[in-house]
Amino acid sequence: MRKIRLLAAALLASTTLLGTVTASFAEEVVVKMWARADRSGPLRAGNIVAAAEPLNAALKAAGSDKTVRVEVFEGPASGFDADALDILKAFAVNQGPDVYVAAHEWVGEFAKAGYAMEMDSFVQKNPWAFGDIIPVLWNSTKYKGKIYAIPQDSEIRMFFYNKDMLRKIGKDEAFIDGIPAAVEKGEFTMQDLSNLAKEVVDKGAAPIGMVHRPNAGPDYLMTFAAFGAKFVDEQTGQLVLPKAEIRRGLEWYAANAANGVTPKNNTSMSWDEIQGAFKTEKAFIYHQGVWAVTEWMVGDSKGANWPNDRKWYFNKIGWVPAPAATKGGQPANLSHPIVYVVNPKSKNADLAAMLVAYASLPYYNTKHAATTAHTAISNGQRSMPEYLNAWYLDAATPMLARTAFIPNHPDFGRYNGILFKALQGVETGRLTPEKAIDFLEDELSNELKGGLKVVEKLS
Amino acid sequence: MRFPSSNRRIWLDRVLFLGPATLLLVLFFVVPVVVDIGIAFTDMGRDLRVTGFTTENVQRMFGGDRRLTSVMLTTLIYVSCTLVIFNVGYGLLLALLTTALPDRSGSFFRAIWFLPRMSPSVVYALLWSWVVAPTDYGLLNQVLLAIGLPLADLKSNFPMVLVVLANGFIGASFGMIIFTSAIRAIPQHLFYAAQVDGAGPLAIIRHITLPAIRWQLSFVTIYQALALLVSFEYIWLITNGGPFFDTTVYALYVYRRAFDNGQYAYGAALSLGLVLVGTILALALWRFFDMRALLQRPRIEVG
Repeated sequence: MRKIRLLAAALLASTTLLGTVTASFAEEVVVKMWARADRSGPLRAGNIVAAAEPLNAALKAAGSDKTVRVEVFEGPASGFDADALDILKAFAVNQGPDVYVAAHEWVGEFAKAGYAMEMDSFVQKNPWAFGDIIPVLWNSTKYKGKIYAIPQDSEIRMFFYNKDMLRKIGKDEAFIDGIPAAVEKGEFTMQDLSNLAKEVVDKGAAPIGMVHRPNAGPDYLMTFAAFGAKFVDEQTGQLVLPKAEIRRGLEWYAANAANGVTPKNNTSMSWDEIQGAFKTEKAFIYHQGVWAVTEWMVGDSKGANWPNDRKWYFNKIGWVPAPAATKGGQPANLSHPIVYVVNPKSKNADLAAMLVAYASLPYYNTKHAATTAHTAISNGQRSMPEYLNAWYLDAATPMLARTAFIPNHPDFGRYNGILFKALQGVETGRLTPEKAIDFLEDELSNELKGGLKVVEKLS
Repeated sequence: MRFPSSNRRIWLDRVLFLGPATLLLVLFFVVPVVVDIGIAFTDMGRDLRVTGFTTENVQRMFGGDRRLTSVMLTTLIYVSCTLVIFNVGYGLLLALLTTALPDRSGSFFRAIWFLPRMSPSVVYALLWSWVVAPTDYGLLNQVLLAIGLPLADLKSNFPMVLVVLANGFIGASFGMIIFTSAIRAIPQHLFYAAQVDGAGPLAIIRHITLPAIRWQLSFVTIYQALALLVSFEYIWLITNGGPFFDTTVYALYVYRRAFDNGQYAYGAALSLGLVLVGTILALALWRFFDMRALLQRPRIEVG
C-alpha cells in the first residue's frame, strides 16, 4: 500500500513537473496555408484550420509541448490556374506556404519543381485517415507513379436541362424522363442534344438553347472526350492533339453557334448572365457541374427563386453526361478533383501533413461536400446522414462510375487555354473548325515545343 | 565674380536637382530594361528558375509566332484611332468649346469630362461593361429598346470600337486640360485684333489658336502615343483582349504570354520589342514635331 502511495506521489510529482516544464516551453507553431478565395469551397481552408484542434489534442496527449495554429492566406486569383502560377511565384521568392490547395493537374508541375511532398509512405502509415479514400481519386494525385497530394474533393460535371421547356414544345413525360437512360445506352447523341435545343428555340420555349462557361476550364473537355478525343498519349505520357476528334468537337460548337442554339457571344458573357439565363428560364441547357445546384440553382439568387426540395427540382430540371458522339457510343464524364499539397521544404512539413490527414476524415470532408455540393473523397462518407441529406449529391454520385480526369500533365493548363481560344474562335465565327485546327497545331507546337504529339486520328 | 569652392557647389546642385529624378529613372527604367534583356535570353518558365541561356525566344518572335503580325496591326489601329480621334482630336475640340463658353459653364463641362479620369480604372471599366452588356439590361440596349432599335452587342461585334471609345473618353481629358491652359495663355489682344480685322471663329482658330498651341499639340501627341502603346488595363478589364484575339494589343499580348502562361522569358523578349518600338516611335515623333526647337534656350532673356 505504501509502495503504491509512493508511486502515486512520484507519478503526480513528475506529471506536475512535466506540466510546468511543458507550460514554460510551450511552443506555438504557425502553419501557413494558401487557398484561393473561392466561394464554392470555403472549407478547403476551413477544414485545415479546424483540423488544428484534434491535432493539438493529439500532440498534448502525446506529451508534446507544441501547439499548432493555422494561418490562411486567401489568394485573389480568378481561377485555379492563375492561383497555381501565384503559388509558384511565391515559392520562387521563398515565400511559399507550408500547405496549399491546388487543382490536381498542377501536381506534376509542383512535384517537378520540388514544391510537393512525396506522400506514398505517409499515406501508407496513416490508414486511419486515408484507408477509405475512393481508389480512383489517387490517380489524380500521382506524378510519375508516386503520390504527391491528397484528394480534397471530387465532383461531377453535366448538362442541365429544363424539363418545363420540353413540356412546352409538346414532349411527353416518357420522353423527358427517358433522356438520361437513352444517353447512358448511347442512343441519344450529341447531335440529338443540339437538335433538341434547336427545337426548343425554334418553337419559342426559350430564346437560348444552350450556354456554357465563358472562360477556360474543364467543362468542355468532356464534350471533346465524347467525340473521342484524348489529351495524353497513354504510352508515352506526352500531350497529344488528335486532329480529327478535336475537329468534330469544334464542329459541334460551331454548328450550335451558327444555328442559334448557343449565343455567338457565349464566351464574352459574364457568369451572372449565363447562370441567370438558365435560372430565369431563358436558356434550355446549361453545361456545368453538380456544385452549381447549391451555388445558384436553389434559392433566390440569379433572378429567380427555386424551392429547395428534391421532388420539385427533378420535376423541373434534368441532367445528363456528355452524350455519345455516335449512336451506340459511350457518353463521357469528367471530374476535376482539388487536392492538398504539402511543401516538403517547410520545417513544419510533418505537422502540415498531419493537418491534411485530419482534414481528410469523413467528419470534416463531408461538411465541405454537403455544403458546397462536391462529391465525397471516401466511400464511408456516402452513408453519412449529412451527405445523404444533400439529395443532389446522392443523385449525382452514380455518374462517378464513368468519370475521367484531366491529364496530370504540368503543361495541360496551357493546352487547355489554347483549346478554349480555338473554341471561342469557332463560336464567334472568327475561325472555321478547319482553321481552328491549324491554329491549335501552330499555337500548341509553339508553346509546348517538343512536348506535343500531333496525330491525324486516334482510332 | 568668383565663387569660393564653386566646383563643389556645382556638383552638390547637380546631385540635389538631378539626383532624385536620375535615381528614379535608373531604378524604374534602366534596371528593369537590363533585367528584362537578361531574362529574354534565358529559359525562365513557370517556376522562375533559369537553367540556361538561349536565343530561342528572340527567334520565336521573328519566326515562330504567327499571331504577332495581327497583334501589331491591332495595336496600330487601336493607338492611332484613340490618339487621333479622342486624345488629341476630341481633347482639342473640348478645349476650344469650353474656352469659348463663359468661364463657369466652361469649367462645368470640363469637370464632367474629367470625371472618368478621377474614377478608379476598375470602376470605370465595370461601368462600361454594364453599359454595353449584350442583354436587355445593358444601359445602351435599354436606350436602343426605348427608341425602337434592335439590341446591340458591341463587345462581340465591334470590340475595337468599344475599346477605342472607353480609352478615348478617359484619354480626351488629358489633352483638354493642357490645351485649355495653353489657349488661356494666348494674349487676349490677339483675339480682339483678329475680330477687329473681321476674322470669323474658324479663321481665329486656324490662324491664332492652333499656331499658338502647336507645342502642346506635339507634346500631347507624343506623350499619349507612348502611353497608349503600353497601356492595356481597360482592354483587359472590358474585353479581356477578345473575342478571340480581336482586341489583344501588343502590351496585353506580352502580359498574357508572360503571366497567364508563365512563359516569363518569352514575355521578356516580347516586351523588349515594346521598349524598342516605343523608343523608335518617340524619336521619330520627336523629330517629326521638331521638339528640339521647343527645348532650346530662349534667345531673349526674360525678366
